[in-house]
Amino acid sequence: MKTFWILFAAEWRHFRAAKGLVLLTSLVLLVGLYGIYYGTSEINRQRQHLAELPALARHNVEELKVKFPDEADAGEIGYYHTTFAVHHPTPWASLALGQRDVNPYYVKLRLLGLQGQLYASENVNPTKALSGNFDLAFVLVYLFPLLIIALCFNLLSYEKEQGILTLLLAQPVSAATLVAAKLAFRVALVLGLVLVLSGVAMLWAQVPPDGRVGLWLALVVLYCLFWFAVAFLVTSWQRTSAFNAVALVGVWLVLVVLVPGLLNVFVSAARPVPQGLELTIKQRDEIHGGWDKPKTETMNRFFALYPQYRDTATIKERFVWRWYYAFQHLGDQSVQELASAYTDGLRQRYELVNRLNWLSPAINAQTSLNALAGTDLPAHLAFQQSATRYHDALRGFYYPYLFHKVAFTHADYAKEPTHTFTSTSDPTTALSGLGKLLVSTGAVLVAGLLLFRARPVNPR
Amino acid sequence: MTYILEAKDLRKQYPDKLALRGLNLQIEAGEVFCLLGQNGAGKSTTINLFLGFVQPTSGAAYINGLEVAKNPLEIKQHLAYIPENVMLYPHLTGLENLNLFSRLAGFAYAESELRRYLEHAGLPAEAVQRRVGTYSKGMRQKVGIAIAVAKHAKVLLLDEPTSGLDPKASNEFSELLRQLSGQGTAVFMATHDIFRAKEVGTRVGIMREGELVDVRPTTLLNANELEQLYLHYTH
Repeated sequence: MKTFWILFAAEWRHFRAAKGLVLLTSLVLLVGLYGIYYGTSEINRQRQHLAELPALARHNVEELKVKFPDEADAGEIGYYHTTFAVHHPTPWASLALGQRDVNPYYVKLRLLGLQGQLYASENVNPTKALSGNFDLAFVLVYLFPLLIIALCFNLLSYEKEQGILTLLLAQPVSAATLVAAKLAFRVALVLGLVLVLSGVAMLWAQVPPDGRVGLWLALVVLYCLFWFAVAFLVTSWQRTSAFNAVALVGVWLVLVVLVPGLLNVFVSAARPVPQGLELTIKQRDEIHGGWDKPKTETMNRFFALYPQYRDTATIKERFVWRWYYAFQHLGDQSVQELASAYTDGLRQRYELVNRLNWLSPAINAQTSLNALAGTDLPAHLAFQQSATRYHDALRGFYYPYLFHKVAFTHADYAKEPTHTFTSTSDPTTALSGLGKLLVSTGAVLVAGLLLFRARPVNPR
Repeated sequence: MTYILEAKDLRKQYPDKLALRGLNLQIEAGEVFCLLGQNGAGKSTTINLFLGFVQPTSGAAYINGLEVAKNPLEIKQHLAYIPENVMLYPHLTGLENLNLFSRLAGFAYAESELRRYLEHAGLPAEAVQRRVGTYSKGMRQKVGIAIAVAKHAKVLLLDEPTSGLDPKASNEFSELLRQLSGQGTAVFMATHDIFRAKEVGTRVGIMREGELVDVRPTTLLNANELEQLYLHYTH
C-alpha cells in the first residue's frame, strides 16, 4: 500500500512536468465551464421567453377588448385570440439540453385546427442544430473520453519505451501496483474534474438536492470509468504508445461516431415514420374543402362527435362561426390516425434506440442524462399531449358560446383555460442506463484484468 | 549452506533460440563473479532470469535462497540492478530520481544522505539538482549506481554497468565494487571488459551460446592469460 502511494504521488510530479497534458486538462476544464454557461444561458433564454408569454396573451386580450368594446361573437374571439401552451424545463435541463433546442418549447394556439399549429416552431439555424448543443452533457459524453485517452495512451508504454521500467520493476514493485497507481491518479484527476464541473453546474442551475444529484454523478462517474476500463484493456495488451493511441481513438470513433450513425440509419429504416408533409396536406385539403362542402354534411359529421349540440339551430346563413370551427375540427379528425402514427413512430424509434444503446455507452450516457433532465423525446411528446388536451379544453370552453349563441363578454376572457406544463425527470430510464453502463464497464474491466493476468508485464 | 545467488539447471528456450542451456552456478556473499561472453551468448538472459523479468523454461534461479519465479516481489528486496543503459525520469532531478527509487525500495533518506550517495557514485555536485534530461549517459549511469548502492542489497546484478563511463569513473566504480564486496555484497556482473573483470572479479565465467563453458578464480590468471582463454572459447 505504501508503494502504491509513493507511485501515486510520483504520478502527480510526472503529470505536472508534462506541460501538454496540463494544458489539455485546463482546456477541458474551461470547455466544461463554457458548456455549463452555454446550457444555462440557453435555458435562461427559454425561461425568459416563457415568462414573457402571459404578458403577450394579456396584451392580445387588451387589443380584443378595444376591437370589440361590447359583447362579441365568441367565434371572432376564438379566431383572433391567441393563447400559449408552454413547456417549462426542469432545473436539470441546463446540464443536458437534449432536444429542447430543436423541439418547440411553447406553442401558440388559436381555436383553429390543432395539427397545423402543434408543429409550428421558431426558426432554428439548421447548421447550428446539426452540430448540436455544447452543453455540459456534451462535454462529458464526447470530450471527456478524449481527455482520458490523452492521459492513458502511454500509461505503461512510456516507462517501457523510455527504458525506465526495468529499473522500476527491479524494485519491490509489482507491475499490477504500478499500473493501479498510474490509473488511480488519472481516475482521481478526471473524476475530480467531473465532480467540480457537475458541482458548479448544479449550483448554478439550482437543482433541488434530491436523488437525481446522486444519479447524475453516478452516471457521469461510471461513464468515465468505462473509458478508463477501455484504456486499461489496451494497456494490458502491452503494445507501443503509438499503437495504443490509434487503438483508443479508434474505439472512440466507433463508440461515439460510427455506432450512433449506424444506429440512426438502422432505426430510421426499421421504424418508418410517416412524413409530416402528408399530414399537413391532408389536413389542409380537409379544411379548405370544408368551404365547398354542403353545410349539413359537415355539421352531421361534427354532431357525431358532439351529439350534445345536435339540437342546435340549423344553419341557414352563408357563414357562421360554429360551422367554420366544425370543419376545422373535422380537419384534425381526418389526420388523427396519421398524427398518432407519427408520434407512435417517434416513440418506437426512441424505444428501439433505448433497447440498442448498450452498443454504445456514449448513446447510453446521453440518453440517460437527457432522461434525467427531462429533455428527451418522451418529455416533448408528453408536452404535445398536454398541449392537445389544452386545445380540447379551449374547444370545450368556446363551443357552448357558439352553439348556444351566448355572447362573449369582457368578463369571459378571465374564464378561458390557461396552460402550463413542466417536464419531469424519467429516473427509470436513467437507472436502466446506469445498469447497462455498469455491465459495459464491468465487462471491459474483467476483460482487461484477464488480459493483464494472461500477459505478464515484460519490462523490455 | 544457502548461496546468495544460485542457478540450478537454469534453461531458457525462446521460440527461435535456446538462450540458456542448463546453467549451474553458486555465488557466495562477498564474491564478485564476472561473466564474459560475446553478444548473444546468454549473459543478459541470465541476468533477466535472476531478476524475474523472464520465466525459465526449466530449472530455477535463487536469490538468497528464494526461488525467483515463485517470489518475484520478495527477491527484489535483496537485489539491486544496474542496466547497461540507466534510464530515469527525465523531468526529475538526479536527487528526485534517487529519492523515488529509494523510497520504492523501502528507504526514506534525508536529502543530505541522498546527496552523499550521489557524490559517492561520482555525480558532480552541480548536477544533483539538475533535471536528468540534461545528463550525459555517464551521469545517468552514476545515478543508477547510487540507486543500487543506496538499496543496501545482498546481491548486485550488473549488466555492463561501466558502459558510458570514462576510465576514471570506471576505475572509481571498480573501487566501489571492491568496497561492497568487502562488506559482503555478492556481485554478478556481465561485461565485455576483460581487464576490469580480472581486476575486480574473484571469479570469471565464460559463456558461449547459452552455455557456461569455463569458470576460474581470477587469482590464477593474469589479464593476458584471461584474454587468451576468452579468445580460445569464442573462436
